[in-house]
Amino acid sequence: MLRWPALVLLAAVSVAQATDGEYLLNAAGCVACHTAEGGRPLAGGRAFVTPYGTFYSPNITPDRETGIGTWSRAQFVAALKHGTSPDGVAYFPVFPYTSYRLMSDQDAGAIHDHLQSLEPYQQQNREHDLAWWLGRWMMKLWQWWNLDPLVPMPVTKDPMINRGRYLVDALGHCGECHTPRNWSGVMVRQSHYLAGSKQGPDGDAVPNITTDRSNGIGKWDADDLQYFLETGALPNGDYAGGLMTDVIDNSTSKLTAADRKAMAAYLKTVPAVATP
Amino acid sequence: MKTGAIAIAALLSLTSLAHADEPENFIKYRQSMMTAIGGHNGAASQILRGKVAPPGHLAMHANALRDLASDLAALFPEGSDFGETKAKAEIWSDWSGFEKAAGDSKTATAAFAEAVAGGDAGNIEAAFKQVGETCKGCHKTYREKDD
Ligand code: HEC
Ligand code: HEC
Ligand code: HEC
Repeated sequence: MLRWPALVLLAAVSVAQATDGEYLLNAAGCVACHTAEGGRPLAGGRAFVTPYGTFYSPNITPDRETGIGTWSRAQFVAALKHGTSPDGVAYFPVFPYTSYRLMSDQDAGAIHDHLQSLEPYQQQNREHDLAWWLGRWMMKLWQWWNLDPLVPMPVTKDPMINRGRYLVDALGHCGECHTPRNWSGVMVRQSHYLAGSKQGPDGDAVPNITTDRSNGIGKWDADDLQYFLETGALPNGDYAGGLMTDVIDNSTSKLTAADRKAMAAYLKTVPAVATP
Repeated sequence: MKTGAIAIAALLSLTSLAHADEPENFIKYRQSMMTAIGGHNGAASQILRGKVAPPGHLAMHANALRDLASDLAALFPEGSDFGETKAKAEIWSDWSGFEKAAGDSKTATAAFAEAVAGGDAGNIEAAFKQVGETCKGCHKTYREKDD
Protein backbone atom coordinates (compact mmCIF):
# COMPACT_ATOMS: atom_id res chain seq x y z
CA MET A 1 0.00 0.00 0.00
CA LEU A 2 2.69 2.43 0.98
CA ARG A 3 4.46 1.94 -2.32
CA TRP A 4 1.58 3.25 -4.39
CA PRO A 5 2.40 6.94 -4.39
CA ALA A 6 5.90 6.17 -5.60
CA LEU A 7 4.52 3.99 -8.36
CA VAL A 8 2.06 6.64 -9.45
CA LEU A 9 4.84 9.13 -9.67
CA LEU A 10 6.99 6.78 -11.69
CA ALA A 11 4.15 6.03 -14.07
CA ALA A 12 3.39 9.68 -14.55
CA VAL A 13 6.98 10.53 -15.33
CA SER A 14 8.11 7.68 -17.52
CA VAL A 15 4.99 6.79 -19.38
CA ALA A 16 2.99 9.87 -20.24
CA GLN A 17 5.65 11.69 -22.20
CA ALA A 18 3.79 13.36 -24.99
CA THR A 19 1.76 16.38 -24.03
CA ASP A 20 0.82 17.22 -27.61
CA GLY A 21 -2.97 16.96 -27.52
CA GLU A 22 -3.38 16.18 -31.19
CA TYR A 23 -0.91 13.32 -30.96
CA LEU A 24 -2.76 11.92 -27.94
CA LEU A 25 -6.10 12.29 -29.72
CA ASN A 26 -4.73 10.10 -32.51
CA ALA A 27 -3.11 7.61 -30.16
CA ALA A 28 -6.43 7.25 -28.33
CA GLY A 29 -8.41 6.75 -31.54
CA CYS A 30 -11.08 9.35 -30.73
CA VAL A 31 -11.53 10.50 -34.32
CA ALA A 32 -12.86 7.28 -35.86
CA CYS A 33 -15.60 6.93 -33.25
CA HIS A 34 -16.61 10.57 -33.13
CA THR A 35 -16.94 11.05 -36.88
CA ALA A 36 -19.90 9.90 -38.97
CA GLU A 37 -19.17 8.38 -42.35
CA GLY A 38 -18.44 11.29 -44.65
CA GLY A 39 -19.21 13.66 -41.77
CA ARG A 40 -17.32 16.49 -40.13
CA PRO A 41 -14.41 15.14 -38.07
CA LEU A 42 -15.24 14.97 -34.33
CA ALA A 43 -18.79 16.28 -34.79
CA GLY A 44 -20.17 12.85 -33.83
CA GLY A 45 -23.07 10.91 -35.31
CA ARG A 46 -21.35 7.59 -35.96
CA ALA A 47 -23.73 4.73 -35.17
CA PHE A 48 -22.76 1.72 -33.03
CA VAL A 49 -25.18 -1.15 -33.47
CA THR A 50 -24.98 -3.45 -30.43
CA PRO A 51 -27.19 -5.99 -28.66
CA TYR A 52 -28.00 -3.18 -26.20
CA GLY A 53 -29.33 -0.90 -28.92
CA THR A 54 -27.89 1.61 -31.36
CA PHE A 55 -25.66 4.29 -29.88
CA TYR A 56 -24.61 7.51 -31.59
CA SER A 57 -21.39 9.28 -30.70
CA PRO A 58 -21.82 12.92 -29.63
CA ASN A 59 -20.29 16.10 -31.01
CA ILE A 60 -16.95 16.81 -29.29
CA THR A 61 -16.01 19.93 -31.22
CA PRO A 62 -16.03 23.07 -29.03
CA ASP A 63 -19.43 24.27 -30.21
CA ARG A 64 -21.06 25.86 -27.16
CA GLU A 65 -24.56 24.56 -27.85
CA THR A 66 -24.15 21.12 -29.39
CA GLY A 67 -20.55 20.28 -28.51
CA ILE A 68 -18.28 20.59 -25.50
CA GLY A 69 -17.46 24.30 -25.84
CA THR A 70 -18.61 25.15 -22.30
CA TRP A 71 -16.81 22.28 -20.55
CA SER A 72 -13.99 22.84 -18.10
CA ARG A 73 -10.84 20.79 -18.14
CA ALA A 74 -11.88 19.00 -14.94
CA GLN A 75 -15.29 18.11 -16.40
CA PHE A 76 -13.64 16.69 -19.48
CA VAL A 77 -11.20 14.62 -17.45
CA ALA A 78 -14.11 13.28 -15.38
CA ALA A 79 -15.93 12.22 -18.56
CA LEU A 80 -12.88 10.48 -19.98
CA LYS A 81 -11.68 8.77 -16.82
CA HIS A 82 -14.83 8.26 -14.74
CA GLY A 83 -17.54 8.10 -17.38
CA THR A 84 -19.45 10.93 -15.73
CA SER A 85 -20.97 13.89 -17.56
CA PRO A 86 -20.81 17.50 -16.28
CA ASP A 87 -24.36 17.12 -14.91
CA GLY A 88 -23.48 13.91 -13.14
CA VAL A 89 -24.99 11.42 -15.56
CA ALA A 90 -23.18 8.13 -16.20
CA TYR A 91 -22.03 7.29 -19.73
CA PHE A 92 -22.53 3.97 -21.45
CA PRO A 93 -19.31 2.00 -21.79
CA VAL A 94 -19.46 2.09 -25.62
CA PHE A 95 -17.45 5.19 -24.81
CA PRO A 96 -14.32 3.32 -23.65
CA TYR A 97 -13.70 5.24 -20.43
CA THR A 98 -13.07 1.82 -18.88
CA SER A 99 -9.70 2.02 -20.65
CA TYR A 100 -9.19 5.78 -20.71
CA ARG A 101 -9.33 5.83 -16.92
CA LEU A 102 -5.78 4.51 -17.05
CA MET A 103 -4.72 7.73 -18.77
CA SER A 104 -2.83 10.36 -16.79
CA ASP A 105 -4.81 13.50 -15.89
CA GLN A 106 -2.15 15.45 -17.69
CA ASP A 107 -2.72 13.62 -20.98
CA ALA A 108 -6.52 13.77 -20.66
CA GLY A 109 -6.18 17.51 -20.03
CA ALA A 110 -3.94 17.94 -23.07
CA ILE A 111 -6.61 16.28 -25.24
CA HIS A 112 -9.15 18.70 -23.77
CA ASP A 113 -6.98 21.70 -24.60
CA HIS A 114 -6.49 20.46 -28.13
CA LEU A 115 -10.20 19.87 -28.73
CA GLN A 116 -11.04 23.32 -27.38
CA SER A 117 -8.58 24.87 -29.83
CA LEU A 118 -10.39 23.44 -32.87
CA GLU A 119 -13.03 25.14 -35.00
CA PRO A 120 -16.48 24.71 -33.34
CA TYR A 121 -19.02 22.90 -35.48
CA GLN A 122 -22.72 22.96 -34.79
CA GLN A 123 -24.39 19.59 -35.13
CA GLN A 124 -27.14 18.34 -32.85
CA ASN A 125 -26.47 15.05 -31.07
CA ARG A 126 -28.65 12.13 -31.98
CA GLU A 127 -30.53 10.25 -29.25
CA HIS A 128 -29.48 6.65 -28.68
CA ASP A 129 -31.94 4.00 -29.72
CA LEU A 130 -31.72 1.74 -26.64
CA ALA A 131 -33.04 -1.75 -26.08
CA TRP A 132 -36.40 -1.48 -24.27
CA TRP A 133 -35.05 -2.77 -20.97
CA LEU A 134 -32.03 -0.49 -20.83
CA GLY A 135 -31.98 2.92 -19.19
CA ARG A 136 -29.14 5.35 -18.62
CA TRP A 137 -29.80 5.32 -14.86
CA MET A 138 -28.61 1.70 -14.81
CA MET A 139 -25.15 2.83 -15.82
CA LYS A 140 -24.53 4.32 -12.39
CA LEU A 141 -25.07 0.86 -10.93
CA TRP A 142 -23.03 -0.72 -13.69
CA GLN A 143 -20.15 1.64 -12.95
CA TRP A 144 -20.47 1.05 -9.24
CA TRP A 145 -20.16 -2.70 -9.76
CA ASN A 146 -17.74 -2.83 -12.62
CA LEU A 147 -15.44 0.13 -12.81
CA ASP A 148 -12.00 -0.81 -11.52
CA PRO A 149 -10.60 1.41 -8.82
CA LEU A 150 -8.08 3.90 -10.11
CA VAL A 151 -4.92 1.94 -9.43
CA PRO A 152 -1.66 2.75 -11.14
CA MET A 153 -0.59 0.57 -14.03
CA PRO A 154 2.01 -2.03 -13.22
CA VAL A 155 5.49 -0.69 -13.86
CA THR A 156 8.51 -2.68 -14.95
CA LYS A 157 12.16 -1.66 -14.98
CA ASP A 158 12.08 -1.19 -18.75
CA PRO A 159 10.69 2.26 -19.66
CA MET A 160 9.94 1.10 -23.20
CA ILE A 161 7.68 -1.69 -21.94
CA ASN A 162 5.93 0.75 -19.61
CA ARG A 163 5.34 3.20 -22.41
CA GLY A 164 4.10 0.38 -24.65
CA ARG A 165 1.65 -0.80 -22.03
CA TYR A 166 0.33 2.73 -21.57
CA LEU A 167 -0.16 3.10 -25.32
CA VAL A 168 -1.89 -0.28 -25.64
CA ASP A 169 -4.08 -0.20 -22.52
CA ALA A 170 -4.79 3.44 -21.71
CA LEU A 171 -4.65 5.26 -25.06
CA GLY A 172 -5.06 2.61 -27.76
CA HIS A 173 -7.74 0.75 -25.73
CA CYS A 174 -6.86 -2.39 -27.71
CA GLY A 175 -8.54 -4.59 -25.11
CA GLU A 176 -11.94 -3.00 -25.71
CA CYS A 177 -12.09 -5.10 -28.87
CA HIS A 178 -9.46 -7.80 -28.34
CA THR A 179 -10.44 -8.85 -24.78
CA PRO A 180 -13.63 -10.93 -24.44
CA ARG A 181 -16.47 -9.61 -22.26
CA ASN A 182 -18.62 -11.35 -19.68
CA TRP A 183 -22.42 -11.33 -19.59
CA SER A 184 -22.57 -7.79 -18.29
CA GLY A 185 -20.25 -6.38 -20.91
CA VAL A 186 -17.17 -6.21 -18.70
CA MET A 187 -13.76 -7.08 -20.17
CA VAL A 188 -12.42 -10.32 -18.70
CA ARG A 189 -8.98 -8.83 -18.14
CA GLN A 190 -7.83 -11.14 -15.38
CA SER A 191 -7.96 -14.41 -17.27
CA HIS A 192 -8.35 -13.52 -20.95
CA TYR A 193 -6.53 -10.25 -21.49
CA LEU A 194 -6.26 -9.67 -25.30
CA ALA A 195 -7.24 -13.30 -25.98
CA GLY A 196 -9.76 -12.43 -28.70
CA SER A 197 -13.50 -12.07 -28.72
CA LYS A 198 -16.22 -13.97 -30.56
CA GLN A 199 -18.22 -10.81 -30.84
CA GLY A 200 -16.48 -7.50 -31.36
CA PRO A 201 -18.13 -4.10 -31.50
CA ASP A 202 -19.65 -4.73 -34.95
CA GLY A 203 -20.65 -8.33 -34.21
CA ASP A 204 -17.66 -9.88 -36.00
CA ALA A 205 -15.00 -11.89 -34.22
CA VAL A 206 -11.79 -10.16 -33.11
CA PRO A 207 -8.55 -12.16 -33.16
CA ASN A 208 -6.38 -13.20 -30.23
CA ILE A 209 -3.30 -10.97 -29.95
CA THR A 210 -1.59 -12.65 -27.01
CA THR A 211 1.71 -14.44 -27.58
CA ASP A 212 -0.12 -17.76 -27.95
CA ARG A 213 1.58 -19.47 -30.87
CA SER A 214 -1.44 -21.21 -32.39
CA ASN A 215 -4.31 -18.81 -31.58
CA GLY A 216 -2.49 -15.54 -31.19
CA ILE A 217 0.45 -13.71 -32.65
CA GLY A 218 3.20 -15.69 -30.91
CA LYS A 219 4.84 -16.40 -34.26
CA TRP A 220 5.12 -12.72 -35.14
CA ASP A 221 8.32 -11.00 -34.10
CA ALA A 222 8.34 -7.49 -32.67
CA ASP A 223 9.31 -6.11 -36.06
CA ASP A 224 6.30 -7.78 -37.75
CA LEU A 225 4.06 -6.18 -35.15
CA GLN A 226 5.60 -2.78 -35.53
CA TYR A 227 5.25 -2.97 -39.30
CA PHE A 228 1.64 -4.11 -38.92
CA LEU A 229 0.79 -1.15 -36.70
CA GLU A 230 2.32 1.16 -39.30
CA THR A 231 0.86 -0.34 -42.48
CA GLY A 232 -1.78 -2.95 -41.64
CA ALA A 233 0.26 -5.61 -43.48
CA LEU A 234 0.11 -9.11 -42.02
CA PRO A 235 3.19 -11.35 -42.14
CA ASN A 236 1.57 -13.38 -44.96
CA GLY A 237 1.38 -10.34 -47.25
CA ASP A 238 -2.35 -9.81 -46.79
CA TYR A 239 -3.80 -6.78 -44.98
CA ALA A 240 -6.04 -6.54 -41.95
CA GLY A 241 -9.60 -5.50 -42.67
CA GLY A 242 -12.69 -4.73 -40.63
CA LEU A 243 -12.52 -2.36 -37.69
CA MET A 244 -8.75 -2.76 -37.44
CA THR A 245 -8.39 -0.64 -40.60
CA ASP A 246 -9.78 2.34 -38.66
CA VAL A 247 -7.36 1.71 -35.83
CA ILE A 248 -4.39 1.63 -38.20
CA ASP A 249 -5.43 4.49 -40.46
CA ASN A 250 -6.56 6.88 -37.72
CA SER A 251 -4.34 5.88 -34.87
CA THR A 252 -1.29 3.61 -34.95
CA SER A 253 0.01 4.73 -38.38
CA LYS A 254 0.12 8.28 -37.01
CA LEU A 255 2.33 7.49 -34.04
CA THR A 256 6.10 7.85 -33.89
CA ALA A 257 8.17 4.82 -34.82
CA ALA A 258 9.47 4.80 -31.23
CA ASP A 259 5.93 4.49 -29.86
CA ARG A 260 5.05 1.68 -32.27
CA LYS A 261 8.22 -0.06 -31.23
CA ALA A 262 7.23 0.28 -27.58
CA MET A 263 3.77 -1.15 -28.28
CA ALA A 264 5.27 -4.11 -30.12
CA ALA A 265 7.78 -4.72 -27.34
CA TYR A 266 5.02 -4.65 -24.74
CA LEU A 267 2.72 -6.95 -26.73
CA LYS A 268 5.55 -9.48 -26.91
CA THR A 269 5.44 -9.66 -23.09
CA VAL A 270 1.70 -10.44 -22.88
CA PRO A 271 1.22 -13.99 -21.55
CA ALA A 272 -0.09 -16.55 -24.04
CA VAL A 273 -3.76 -17.40 -23.52
CA ALA A 274 -5.86 -19.57 -25.83
CA THR A 275 -8.89 -17.94 -27.44
CA PRO A 276 -11.95 -18.51 -25.19
CA MET B 1 -4.02 -42.46 -87.04
CA LYS B 2 -1.92 -39.71 -85.58
CA THR B 3 -4.14 -36.91 -86.90
CA GLY B 4 -7.16 -38.73 -85.51
CA ALA B 5 -5.62 -38.79 -82.03
CA ILE B 6 -4.78 -35.13 -82.25
CA ALA B 7 -8.31 -34.33 -83.37
CA ILE B 8 -9.76 -36.24 -80.45
CA ALA B 9 -7.36 -34.56 -78.03
CA ALA B 10 -8.33 -31.18 -79.45
CA LEU B 11 -12.00 -32.01 -79.08
CA LEU B 12 -11.50 -33.12 -75.51
CA SER B 13 -9.63 -29.99 -74.62
CA LEU B 14 -12.35 -27.93 -76.26
CA THR B 15 -15.01 -29.51 -74.08
CA SER B 16 -12.91 -28.97 -70.97
CA LEU B 17 -12.38 -25.38 -72.06
CA ALA B 18 -16.12 -24.93 -72.25
CA HIS B 19 -16.31 -26.00 -68.60
CA ALA B 20 -13.33 -23.86 -67.69
CA ASP B 21 -15.30 -20.73 -68.37
CA GLU B 22 -17.87 -21.31 -65.67
CA PRO B 23 -17.77 -18.30 -63.36
CA GLU B 24 -17.69 -20.34 -60.12
CA ASN B 25 -14.40 -21.85 -61.18
CA PHE B 26 -12.88 -18.42 -60.95
CA ILE B 27 -13.37 -18.34 -57.19
CA LYS B 28 -10.60 -20.84 -56.40
CA TYR B 29 -8.46 -19.48 -59.21
CA ARG B 30 -8.55 -15.88 -58.05
CA GLN B 31 -8.00 -16.90 -54.45
CA SER B 32 -4.87 -18.73 -55.59
CA MET B 33 -3.83 -15.65 -57.54
CA MET B 34 -4.44 -13.40 -54.53
CA THR B 35 -2.50 -15.79 -52.29
CA ALA B 36 0.39 -15.60 -54.75
CA ILE B 37 0.15 -11.80 -54.77
CA GLY B 38 0.14 -11.82 -50.98
CA GLY B 39 3.19 -14.09 -50.99
CA HIS B 40 5.22 -11.80 -53.21
CA ASN B 41 4.03 -8.76 -51.31
CA GLY B 42 5.02 -10.30 -47.96
CA ALA B 43 8.37 -11.45 -49.33
CA ALA B 44 9.10 -8.00 -50.78
CA SER B 45 8.34 -6.43 -47.41
CA GLN B 46 10.80 -8.79 -45.68
CA ILE B 47 13.52 -7.60 -48.05
CA LEU B 48 12.58 -3.92 -47.78
CA ARG B 49 12.57 -4.13 -44.00
CA GLY B 50 16.12 -5.42 -44.18
CA LYS B 51 15.41 -8.85 -42.72
CA VAL B 52 16.97 -10.73 -45.65
CA ALA B 53 18.93 -9.64 -48.71
CA PRO B 54 18.92 -12.38 -51.35
CA PRO B 55 20.49 -10.83 -54.46
CA GLY B 56 18.07 -10.12 -57.29
CA HIS B 57 14.99 -11.21 -55.37
CA LEU B 58 13.42 -7.81 -54.89
CA ALA B 59 13.17 -7.37 -58.66
CA MET B 60 11.76 -10.87 -58.96
CA HIS B 61 8.97 -10.11 -56.49
CA ALA B 62 8.30 -6.67 -57.94
CA ASN B 63 8.04 -8.05 -61.48
CA ALA B 64 5.80 -10.88 -60.29
CA LEU B 65 3.50 -8.40 -58.54
CA ARG B 66 3.36 -6.29 -61.69
CA ASP B 67 2.45 -9.31 -63.82
CA LEU B 68 -0.01 -10.84 -61.35
CA ALA B 69 -1.85 -7.55 -60.83
CA SER B 70 -1.96 -6.60 -64.50
CA ASP B 71 -5.65 -7.49 -64.94
CA LEU B 72 -7.30 -8.21 -61.58
CA ALA B 73 -10.78 -7.32 -62.85
CA ALA B 74 -10.65 -10.35 -65.17
CA LEU B 75 -10.60 -12.61 -62.10
CA PHE B 76 -14.11 -11.50 -61.20
CA PRO B 77 -16.49 -12.53 -63.99
CA GLU B 78 -20.14 -11.81 -63.28
CA GLY B 79 -21.72 -14.72 -61.44
CA SER B 80 -18.59 -15.68 -59.51
CA ASP B 81 -20.13 -14.64 -56.22
CA PHE B 82 -21.67 -17.99 -55.29
CA GLY B 83 -19.79 -20.28 -52.97
CA GLU B 84 -16.78 -19.92 -50.71
CA THR B 85 -15.83 -16.40 -51.59
CA LYS B 86 -15.36 -13.10 -49.84
CA ALA B 87 -16.06 -11.15 -52.99
CA LYS B 88 -18.82 -8.65 -52.20
CA ALA B 89 -21.82 -8.07 -54.45
CA GLU B 90 -20.64 -4.45 -54.74
CA ILE B 91 -17.99 -5.65 -57.19
CA TRP B 92 -20.66 -6.16 -59.82
CA SER B 93 -23.13 -3.49 -58.77
CA ASP B 94 -20.30 -0.93 -58.88
CA TRP B 95 -18.25 -2.45 -61.67
CA SER B 96 -16.66 0.81 -62.82
CA GLY B 97 -15.47 1.55 -59.28
CA PHE B 98 -14.06 -1.95 -59.03
CA GLU B 99 -12.29 -1.64 -62.37
CA LYS B 100 -10.76 1.58 -61.14
CA ALA B 101 -9.52 -0.13 -57.96
CA ALA B 102 -8.01 -2.89 -60.09
CA GLY B 103 -6.47 -0.28 -62.41
CA ASP B 104 -4.93 1.55 -59.43
CA SER B 105 -3.24 -1.65 -58.36
CA LYS B 106 -1.97 -2.28 -61.89
CA THR B 107 -0.49 1.22 -62.02
CA ALA B 108 1.02 0.97 -58.54
CA THR B 109 2.62 -2.44 -59.06
CA ALA B 110 4.03 -1.34 -62.43
CA ALA B 111 5.48 1.77 -60.79
CA PHE B 112 6.97 -0.38 -58.03
CA ALA B 113 8.65 -2.69 -60.57
CA GLU B 114 10.01 0.36 -62.34
CA ALA B 115 11.28 1.90 -59.09
CA VAL B 116 13.07 -1.34 -58.21
CA ALA B 117 14.67 -1.39 -61.67
CA GLY B 118 15.71 2.24 -61.10
CA GLY B 119 17.32 1.34 -57.79
CA ASP B 120 16.59 4.50 -55.75
CA ALA B 121 15.79 3.43 -52.18
CA GLY B 122 13.47 6.36 -51.49
CA ASN B 123 11.47 5.77 -54.67
CA ILE B 124 11.25 2.07 -53.97
CA GLU B 125 9.91 2.59 -50.48
CA ALA B 126 7.33 5.15 -51.60
CA ALA B 127 6.20 2.96 -54.50
CA PHE B 128 5.87 -0.07 -52.24
CA LYS B 129 3.76 1.89 -49.79
CA GLN B 130 1.51 2.89 -52.67
CA VAL B 131 1.07 -0.75 -53.69
CA GLY B 132 -0.14 -1.54 -50.17
CA GLU B 133 -2.61 1.33 -50.27
CA THR B 134 -4.22 -0.09 -53.41
CA CYS B 135 -4.54 -3.58 -51.87
CA LYS B 136 -6.11 -2.17 -48.71
CA GLY B 137 -8.31 0.21 -50.66
CA CYS B 138 -9.89 -2.52 -52.76
CA HIS B 139 -10.23 -4.97 -49.87
CA LYS B 140 -11.93 -2.32 -47.73
CA THR B 141 -14.71 -1.77 -50.24
CA TYR B 142 -15.02 -5.04 -52.09
CA ARG B 143 -13.97 -7.85 -49.77
CA GLU B 144 -16.04 -9.28 -46.91
CA LYS B 145 -14.55 -9.09 -43.46
CA ASP B 146 -13.06 -12.17 -41.81
CA ASP B 147 -15.41 -14.22 -39.71
C1 HEC C 1 -15.50 3.17 -29.40
C2 HEC C 1 -15.97 4.47 -29.77
C3 HEC C 1 -15.48 5.69 -29.00
C4 HEC C 1 -14.19 6.09 -28.78
C5 HEC C 1 -12.90 5.36 -29.19
C6 HEC C 1 -14.27 7.35 -28.12
N1 HEC C 1 -15.57 7.70 -27.89
FE1 HEC C 1 -16.21 9.37 -26.94
N2 HEC C 1 -18.09 8.60 -26.90
C7 HEC C 1 -18.52 7.52 -27.64
C8 HEC C 1 -19.95 7.33 -27.42
C9 HEC C 1 -20.83 6.26 -28.07
C10 HEC C 1 -20.35 8.34 -26.49
C11 HEC C 1 -21.74 8.54 -25.90
C12 HEC C 1 -21.81 7.86 -24.54
C13 HEC C 1 -23.14 8.03 -23.85
O1 HEC C 1 -24.03 8.69 -24.41
O2 HEC C 1 -23.32 7.48 -22.75
C14 HEC C 1 -19.15 9.13 -26.22
C15 HEC C 1 -19.12 10.24 -25.38
C16 HEC C 1 -18.05 11.11 -25.28
C17 HEC C 1 -18.08 12.37 -24.56
C18 HEC C 1 -19.26 12.97 -23.84
C19 HEC C 1 -19.85 14.04 -24.70
C20 HEC C 1 -21.13 14.61 -24.19
O3 HEC C 1 -21.71 15.44 -24.92
O4 HEC C 1 -21.59 14.26 -23.11
C21 HEC C 1 -16.82 12.93 -24.69
C22 HEC C 1 -16.36 14.25 -24.13
C23 HEC C 1 -16.04 12.02 -25.48
N3 HEC C 1 -16.80 10.94 -25.82
C24 HEC C 1 -14.72 12.26 -25.84
C25 HEC C 1 -13.90 11.27 -26.39
C26 HEC C 1 -12.47 11.41 -26.52
C27 HEC C 1 -11.66 12.63 -26.16
C28 HEC C 1 -12.02 10.23 -27.03
C29 HEC C 1 -10.58 9.80 -27.27
C30 HEC C 1 -9.72 9.93 -26.11
C31 HEC C 1 -13.19 9.37 -27.24
N4 HEC C 1 -14.31 10.05 -26.84
C32 HEC C 1 -13.15 8.11 -27.77
C33 HEC C 1 -17.74 6.70 -28.41
C34 HEC C 1 -16.35 6.71 -28.42
C1 HEC D 1 -12.46 -1.29 -32.78
C2 HEC D 1 -11.98 -2.60 -32.46
C3 HEC D 1 -10.47 -2.82 -32.40
C4 HEC D 1 -9.55 -2.10 -31.69
C5 HEC D 1 -9.77 -0.88 -30.79
C6 HEC D 1 -8.27 -2.73 -31.94
N1 HEC D 1 -8.41 -3.80 -32.79
FE1 HEC D 1 -6.91 -4.98 -33.52
N2 HEC D 1 -8.25 -5.98 -34.68
C7 HEC D 1 -9.62 -5.76 -34.69
C8 HEC D 1 -10.22 -6.65 -35.68
C9 HEC D 1 -11.71 -6.74 -35.99
C10 HEC D 1 -9.17 -7.38 -36.27
C11 HEC D 1 -9.28 -8.41 -37.39
C12 HEC D 1 -9.06 -7.69 -38.69
C13 HEC D 1 -9.37 -8.53 -39.91
O1 HEC D 1 -10.46 -9.11 -39.96
O2 HEC D 1 -8.54 -8.58 -40.82
C14 HEC D 1 -7.94 -6.94 -35.60
C15 HEC D 1 -6.67 -7.44 -35.90
C16 HEC D 1 -5.51 -7.12 -35.18
C17 HEC D 1 -4.23 -7.77 -35.36
C18 HEC D 1 -3.92 -8.89 -36.36
C19 HEC D 1 -4.14 -10.21 -35.69
C20 HEC D 1 -4.13 -11.37 -36.64
O3 HEC D 1 -3.85 -12.48 -36.17
O4 HEC D 1 -4.43 -11.19 -37.82
C21 HEC D 1 -3.36 -7.19 -34.46
C22 HEC D 1 -1.90 -7.55 -34.25
C23 HEC D 1 -4.10 -6.18 -33.74
N3 HEC D 1 -5.41 -6.16 -34.21
C24 HEC D 1 -3.57 -5.37 -32.76
C25 HEC D 1 -4.25 -4.32 -32.16
C26 HEC D 1 -3.65 -3.35 -31.27
C27 HEC D 1 -2.20 -3.35 -30.83
C28 HEC D 1 -4.63 -2.49 -30.92
C29 HEC D 1 -4.53 -1.25 -30.02
C30 HEC D 1 -3.70 -0.20 -30.55
C31 HEC D 1 -5.85 -2.91 -31.56
N4 HEC D 1 -5.59 -4.03 -32.31
C32 HEC D 1 -7.08 -2.28 -31.40
C33 HEC D 1 -10.32 -4.87 -33.91
C34 HEC D 1 -9.75 -3.89 -33.09
C1 HEC E 1 -9.46 -4.72 -57.33
C2 HEC E 1 -9.62 -5.26 -56.00
C3 HEC E 1 -8.43 -5.91 -55.31
C4 HEC E 1 -7.12 -5.51 -55.32
C5 HEC E 1 -6.51 -4.29 -56.00
C6 HEC E 1 -6.41 -6.45 -54.49
N1 HEC E 1 -7.25 -7.41 -54.01
FE1 HEC E 1 -6.73 -8.98 -52.84
N2 HEC E 1 -8.67 -9.62 -52.85
C7 HEC E 1 -9.73 -8.98 -53.45
C8 HEC E 1 -10.95 -9.72 -53.22
C9 HEC E 1 -12.34 -9.33 -53.69
C10 HEC E 1 -10.59 -10.86 -52.47
C11 HEC E 1 -11.53 -12.00 -52.01
C12 HEC E 1 -11.55 -13.03 -53.13
C13 HEC E 1 -12.46 -14.20 -52.84
O1 HEC E 1 -12.59 -14.62 -51.67
O2 HEC E 1 -13.04 -14.73 -53.81
C14 HEC E 1 -9.15 -10.75 -52.23
C15 HEC E 1 -8.40 -11.68 -51.52
C16 HEC E 1 -7.06 -11.53 -51.18
C17 HEC E 1 -6.31 -12.46 -50.37
C18 HEC E 1 -6.86 -13.72 -49.69
C19 HEC E 1 -6.77 -14.91 -50.62
C20 HEC E 1 -7.44 -16.14 -50.02
O3 HEC E 1 -8.54 -16.49 -50.43
O4 HEC E 1 -6.87 -16.71 -49.08
C21 HEC E 1 -5.01 -11.99 -50.29
C22 HEC E 1 -3.84 -12.63 -49.54
C23 HEC E 1 -4.97 -10.77 -51.06
N3 HEC E 1 -6.22 -10.52 -51.60
C24 HEC E 1 -3.84 -9.98 -51.22
C25 HEC E 1 -3.79 -8.83 -52.00
C26 HEC E 1 -2.63 -7.98 -52.13
C27 HEC E 1 -1.29 -8.19 -51.42
C28 HEC E 1 -2.96 -6.98 -52.98
C29 HEC E 1 -2.13 -5.80 -53.46
C30 HEC E 1 -0.90 -6.10 -54.13
C31 HEC E 1 -4.35 -7.19 -53.37
N4 HEC E 1 -4.82 -8.32 -52.76
C32 HEC E 1 -5.06 -6.36 -54.24
C33 HEC E 1 -9.68 -7.81 -54.18
C34 HEC E 1 -8.51 -7.11 -54.47
